[in-house]
Amino acid sequence: MSFARICRKERFGERFVCFELEERDIASQARPGQFVMVRPGFRVFDPLLPRPFAVLSANDDRFSLLFEVVGKGTELLSYLEVGDVVEVLGPLGRGFSLDARFGILLAGGRGLVPLVFLAREFEKRGILFSFFLGVRKRKDLALLRLLEDLPRVLWSCEEAVSGGFCGTVLDLVGKCLERALWQGAKIYACGPEGMLRELATVFPGKEEDIEVALEARMGCGFGVCLGCAIPRRGGGYWHVCSDGPVFRLSEVVL
Amino acid sequence: MNLSVTLGRMTLKNPVVLASGTCGYGREIAPYLDLNTLGAITVKGLSLFPWEGNPPPRLFEVRAGLLNSIGLENKGVERFLQEDLPFLEALDTRVFVNIWGKTVEEYVAVARKLDAIERIDALELNVSCPNVEKGGASFLLDPEALRELVGRVREATGKFLIVKLGPKLQDWEVTVRILEEEGAEALSVTNSFPAMVVDVERMDFVFAMKSAGLSGPAIKPLALKMVYDLVGMTELPIIGMGGIMTAEDALEFLLVGARAVGVGTANLVAPSSAVDILEGIKAYLLRKDMENIEDLIGRVR
Ligand SMILES: Cc1cc2nc3c(=O)[nH]c(=O)nc-3n(C[C@H](O)[C@H](O)[C@H](O)COP(=O)(O)OP(=O)(O)OC[C@H]3O[C@@H](n4cnc5c(N)ncnc54)[C@H](O)[C@@H]3O)c2cc1C
Ligand SMILES: Cc1cc2nc3c(=O)[nH]c(=O)nc-3n(C[C@H](O)[C@H](O)[C@H](O)COP(=O)(O)O)c2cc1C
Ligand code: FES
Repeated sequence: MSFARICRKERFGERFVCFELEERDIASQARPGQFVMVRPGFRVFDPLLPRPFAVLSANDDRFSLLFEVVGKGTELLSYLEVGDVVEVLGPLGRGFSLDARFGILLAGGRGLVPLVFLAREFEKRGILFSFFLGVRKRKDLALLRLLEDLPRVLWSCEEAVSGGFCGTVLDLVGKCLERALWQGAKIYACGPEGMLRELATVFPGKEEDIEVALEARMGCGFGVCLGCAIPRRGGGYWHVCSDGPVFRLSEVVL
Repeated sequence: MNLSVTLGRMTLKNPVVLASGTCGYGREIAPYLDLNTLGAITVKGLSLFPWEGNPPPRLFEVRAGLLNSIGLENKGVERFLQEDLPFLEALDTRVFVNIWGKTVEEYVAVARKLDAIERIDALELNVSCPNVEKGGASFLLDPEALRELVGRVREATGKFLIVKLGPKLQDWEVTVRILEEEGAEALSVTNSFPAMVVDVERMDFVFAMKSAGLSGPAIKPLALKMVYDLVGMTELPIIGMGGIMTAEDALEFLLVGARAVGVGTANLVAPSSAVDILEGIKAYLLRKDMENIEDLIGRVR
């Protein structure tokens, strides 16, 4: 683990916090879909385990994370300020494949984090893509700030918003993406499990070309505890931290 | 400064040991610390055949503690020998292999296979896993089954033989005498504690197996008391473990008489923990003006 100083902190809506962290090794090595383990402080043993977070962006000597405050660990992290130091381990795991001709990026809530990184990488490489974001609450639309300068962004909200699409991100996709548009594309998705489970129905016959970034309860994040098991298609388990967190939809049972 | 300790006929270059199940088969943790600086590494519990382990969720964090229900997932002894032994062979530290089975025969078969491998320094018999129905902790509940198990494994191998104990309600005296008589050479104390969590929203157990094993800081004082009690009961050397996160924690175990210490959950919290703990022990000896770690062992009785 290494220490990383928080050099920027930004809030998005009520529940999301973004940190920019100074750590050269992670910043220079991280790839879209990879994650880091974060501890709020050295010698803090409650919360005990570090928490996994996807990398939002990385360049030169800084990388950033964005997290939703959902429990003890993320709440404690949200109290940290610029200048404070966290302990980090990473980059970890297997990221997205970058060989698409055309990408469809589907994000549910905080699932946008690894996909924003992917979108930036696609831009660099001249790969065309569309970005779909679905959020639950009106206030979560603050997350759109992260997508401001990206082309072809569509969004939905489960609460009614004037001028906005009301429903989930998959409702939105069903409304505006015809088969001809997704047939030749590669699909990348991250979000709640229910959303990921529905992908097979929304894109029939496409499971091989859908990559999903999964979450699991993690212990170590680097393959020693075997705590992050998820069922593997055909029997047995994958370990999200070392075999993933990105999987083809056809490899997993959700 | 002399950090080396003896466990019977076994010498460790220092008393810090990586505990089973928290350092994989060695390769996985190797990028994050120099394994050669440690006294020993204990690889994940192996069985005769590959074992899938328990369904998720497998982990749940409580205040300063971790419940796990991994269910002894492992790749089986054959794949271990093919895939991981070469890495371990290149190490300059002791290699302990933790083993388990559903029957005495399975333990014996694994012990036989490992007995043939020169690089392996010791076998650690897991008779205390709280997360499997058969094997595991059931041997601790039945003295005669334990006697048969340890005796048969002893016949099958000339390796240094460690038995890993866990908390239990029975009389320790009986257990300890059996282990001494059947040829155990050291004890690892302790495995995780049987424990439970309920999800109040779902009104159900968090874990499919209902109970799970508690480890981490929450169990340290309990584990320390177990080690203290067992040190008073037997001459067998004891590797003390349970919630060791810092050098101070490790020193407590050594002071009450453990001859080595196991670092488990701390490896998940930060993979370099064991090295930090070793450094802290050295700093303590320096500060106390002590040349020899042996002078520390059992000072507080
Ligand atoms: C590879 C990976 C990448 C992730 N990336 C991000 C990210 O970019 N941004 C972000 O906000 N979060 C991300 N997460 C999820 C994040 O790790 C958890 O939300 C966090 O660990 C919760 O910690 P806590 O102590 O606040 O919550 P806890 O007190 O541990 O739990 C709060 C609630 O969240 C649930 N929960 C806890 N951990 C998880 C989990 N891993 N998956 C699903 N539910 C969980 C619990 O059941 C509980 O209801 C990621 C997880 C993984 C595995
Ligand atoms: C994720 C995990 C997996 C474990 N797997 C094993 C195992 O395979 N065999 C074994 O004997 N003990 C196993 N243990 C128990 C530890 O080796 C150790 O005895 C116990 O966790 C107490 O020490 P700690 O509090 O330092 O972790 C495991 C513990 C954890 C947390
Ligand atoms: S989190 Fe420990 S193995 Fe994946």
